[in-house]
Amino acid sequence: MKKRTYNNPVGVGKYTGLLLITPFIAGFLLFTLYPFAASFLLGLTDYDGVHPPQFIGFENYRELLADSELHDAALVTIKYTLILVPLKLIISLFAAMLLNLEVKGIGIYRTAFYVPSILGANLAVVIMWQFLFTSGGLVNQLIGLTGADAVSWYGDSRYALVTIILLRLWEFGSAMVLFLNALRDVPKEYYDAAKVDGCGGVRSFFAITLPMLKNVIFLNLVLQTIAAMQEFNAPYMLTGGGPMRSTYTIGMMIYNEMFRYHDAGTANAVSWLLFLCITAAVLILFRLTGRNREDSI
Amino acid sequence: MKKKITAYLLLTAIALVMIYPLLWLIGASFKSNDEIFSSVWFMPKHFDFSVYRSAWETVTPYSMGHYFLNTFCIIIPKTVFAVLSSVLVAYGFARFDFPMKRMWFSLLMGSMFMPAIVTVMPLYLLWSRLGVLDTYIPLTLPSLFAAEGMFVFMLIQFMKGVPKEFDEAARLDGCGALKTLFYVLVPCIRPVIVSISVFTFLWTMNDFLTPLINISSVEKYPLSLALRLSSDSTGNGYEQCKIIAMSVIGLIPSAAVFAAAQKKFISGITAGGLTG
Amino acid sequence: MKDKLLKLAAFCCAVTLSACGGRTNKTVTAPDGKLDPCTIRFSWWGGDDRHEATLEAIKLWNSRHPEIVITPEYGGWDGWTEKTAAQIGGGTAPDIMQINYDWLVTLSPDGKGFYDLDRLADQLDLSGFDEDVLSFGRVDGLLNAVTVSVCGRGPFYNSQTYESLGASFPETWDDLLALGETMRGSDKYPIDLDIQSGFTAWYLSVVYIQQKTGRNLITMDGELGFTVEDIEAALDFYKSLEDSHAVRTVKEHTDQDGNSALYQSSEFISGRVAGVLEWGSSVGKYEMVLPEGALKAGPLLADENGNNSGWMIKPSLLYAISANTEHPDEAAAFMDFMLNDSECAEILGTTRGIPSSEYAEKSLENSEKLAGLVLENHEMLEAADTVTISPYMELDRMKEFYNTAIEKVSYGTEDTHTAAQEMYDAMSSYLEKIRK
Repeated sequence: MKKRTYNNPVGVGKYTGLLLITPFIAGFLLFTLYPFAASFLLGLTDYDGVHPPQFIGFENYRELLADSELHDAALVTIKYTLILVPLKLIISLFAAMLLNLEVKGIGIYRTAFYVPSILGANLAVVIMWQFLFTSGGLVNQLIGLTGADAVSWYGDSRYALVTIILLRLWEFGSAMVLFLNALRDVPKEYYDAAKVDGCGGVRSFFAITLPMLKNVIFLNLVLQTIAAMQEFNAPYMLTGGGPMRSTYTIGMMIYNEMFRYHDAGTANAVSWLLFLCITAAVLILFRLTGRNREDSI
Repeated sequence: MKKKITAYLLLTAIALVMIYPLLWLIGASFKSNDEIFSSVWFMPKHFDFSVYRSAWETVTPYSMGHYFLNTFCIIIPKTVFAVLSSVLVAYGFARFDFPMKRMWFSLLMGSMFMPAIVTVMPLYLLWSRLGVLDTYIPLTLPSLFAAEGMFVFMLIQFMKGVPKEFDEAARLDGCGALKTLFYVLVPCIRPVIVSISVFTFLWTMNDFLTPLINISSVEKYPLSLALRLSSDSTGNGYEQCKIIAMSVIGLIPSAAVFAAAQKKFISGITAGGLTG
Repeated sequence: MKDKLLKLAAFCCAVTLSACGGRTNKTVTAPDGKLDPCTIRFSWWGGDDRHEATLEAIKLWNSRHPEIVITPEYGGWDGWTEKTAAQIGGGTAPDIMQINYDWLVTLSPDGKGFYDLDRLADQLDLSGFDEDVLSFGRVDGLLNAVTVSVCGRGPFYNSQTYESLGASFPETWDDLLALGETMRGSDKYPIDLDIQSGFTAWYLSVVYIQQKTGRNLITMDGELGFTVEDIEAALDFYKSLEDSHAVRTVKEHTDQDGNSALYQSSEFISGRVAGVLEWGSSVGKYEMVLPEGALKAGPLLADENGNNSGWMIKPSLLYAISANTEHPDEAAAFMDFMLNDSECAEILGTTRGIPSSEYAEKSLENSEKLAGLVLENHEMLEAADTVTISPYMELDRMKEFYNTAIEKVSYGTEDTHTAAQEMYDAMSSYLEKIRK
């Protein structure tokens, strides 16, 4: 076993770091490892929440992997994630840049932009979305102005997912806040220097802003991907998973199995499958952005 | 000058789209049921403020003020715990190297990947065994242990953005590990710490399932549960405007907290860095 | 280090698993025939009206029995099933609970999930209940819960729309289909059906076939009563409703209303969709959004011979006592108060529907609280030869089967024959699985 060297500042022992993360270690054992382990074990049982669990080995997994319901939900979830995450990053970055301007009253605008995230899944939002996307709603009226046919947003399985994506896009507040934090750290002198060199706005965006925001972009990318893959609330409130299961995500499937069909075994098994997929996705993100684990630790 | 006008126009247009549902919600608290569900325009036909009085008083023996207090009893310890433990743990990961670091980091990341629903029942059983059901401990204790992997991850990313030279400068001045943390790193990442506090505040305000399962006495209900007391889709109908009025009352602290906090996003790493 | 982690994980799992089975390990407290001073917990869900009335009723009890203190626990319906299931699974259930009908199947499939109320006959007077009403709360012969009130769906129509078209409320199924054709010209609909959690589309189709064949969809023991042909006929019937413009297609419905309930829909409020199939006990929310007096109860649809059997009823809610309670006598005494006491009944009114207890109903009659659409619907169902909804019928998984089939038939992705076969297979295997 090769002796590992620890890259610490002078005078710092190799256990100082470990000491610092003890709260996490303790919390992890109690509040993370224990529920995860319990969940994994329950995934190997047939448990309805009332009778003692019956051990059935990997039967749940076998059933699920052959089940088209899981495949369909997985496809919906992947489609949703691939469309939502890039759009959300772009929009929140754009909004953050807009809110970074030094104009009077910018504070009010910042609060206004964040309001959707505060509202969350409120009745108002559900009703607003109906006013927008039902057959006589605002969006179809606007489409009518251009002469095209009205779209059946809620009723057509090709378009229902769009309503959900738009809802989450509208709630870009949290990602925007993180971008805002980071933008504030880009020194103005860089932009001034670039202007002197003849760089226009677009050029300095790609040459200065993006590189300086590398860390935060990665952060948002990972966090938004995890959140999108676990999505449950938006389809639950807006479409109930329909029509024809076109908005039925894995998150919804887990909720239904656990709380409505009283099949905790299957619910936990699906959660573990989701867990593996998310792990894989995050690993891919780490690779794609050229970071290996050392870099980000 | 033209740039400023375009900026303002763009800001205002987007802001209106963002806040229209809130305007509608406030307007709806004055509308009758049929008006609510058939009119997209936010202005109500009449303004009847008595709905706010009855919403505040609630049909329970406690007023909304009582439920607000309950929520604060949860949020304040939770936020303080979360910030303290997350900063400490993130510092350990960001600036130090130690045995099994890679393993613990992977576990930290991994803890974020599981949907939270799955942990609700096992944790409920744990709290039941420990006898702390119907208290606020299940809601606040995990934060003392940096249970939100997301916050730690965020802090790590931002801490990595602080140049190591600052640390070295502090060390030359005789600071130990903790002092470096408090006098160098924390000021630099203060905006992120404020963000974490704001997120904790907002998510706790909206958190519904965890309090529902762990708390049984109405006296201890936080706001998120009190808001749902009155809405019963299986019943004989009720004035929706009252529930909406309660929602509006419940949104005020969140909006106020955010408005106050967003000023703190101004200072950045460069402030007081090498010279401080 | 790794061994330690594994050991800790194993220990935690042992804790979980032992807790999971914990409910059956506790001993059941026998009734001792006395009323001792104690504190008991009572939980219910509802809206403001029910909370207010119940809190007042509790106050009345406390004034009469100051030594038996009732601790109320209540909230809205949202999430209440999860909460109660967690409490029962974790052994922390309240002494008395208001429970939903299908919880009998999910939480007490062997009949031992709740306290056996026959043992508490000293404190609990059930003479005011019909035996068949009581049987709703029996599982495997054991009385798990007492029916508080009974309800059923019935048609209600917007009389303003009907009058403006010179139409009268349909009395037979053929009437309904003909009415649809009549209203096609003015782009209105006589009634509305949906595939949401109330599954009214399937509900009405089941009533039609039950009336026609005399067979029930599912028996009280969880056996499938319909044949594949019956299911296909039901789906065909639904399709005919859509085709003759009696109801909107599923696509139109979702397109125009999104995912919300009909009383939140501008189509209903404006009168374009002029009817709803709703529970008598909760029709108030539809009344509220229409002009005063516009909503009226329509007759239960019958066939050409006037036979209107096949309509369904179920207990709207029940009271049960926790299997692990330490105060069974006191809990039973309180339950008796809530069910039978006349002063209490007057306070509670119809916030839990029209009471099934004869005594309670009588005091309501005297105080004239019995009125309106709730009463009309109740009387119509009492007069008809109704079918009791099997507790297995309303399980969430079953609802998925119904709604998926209707959706496929409506969107045209499957014909009724295939959809019927799929539904039949799915229901039989699921029922077999849970019929423990």
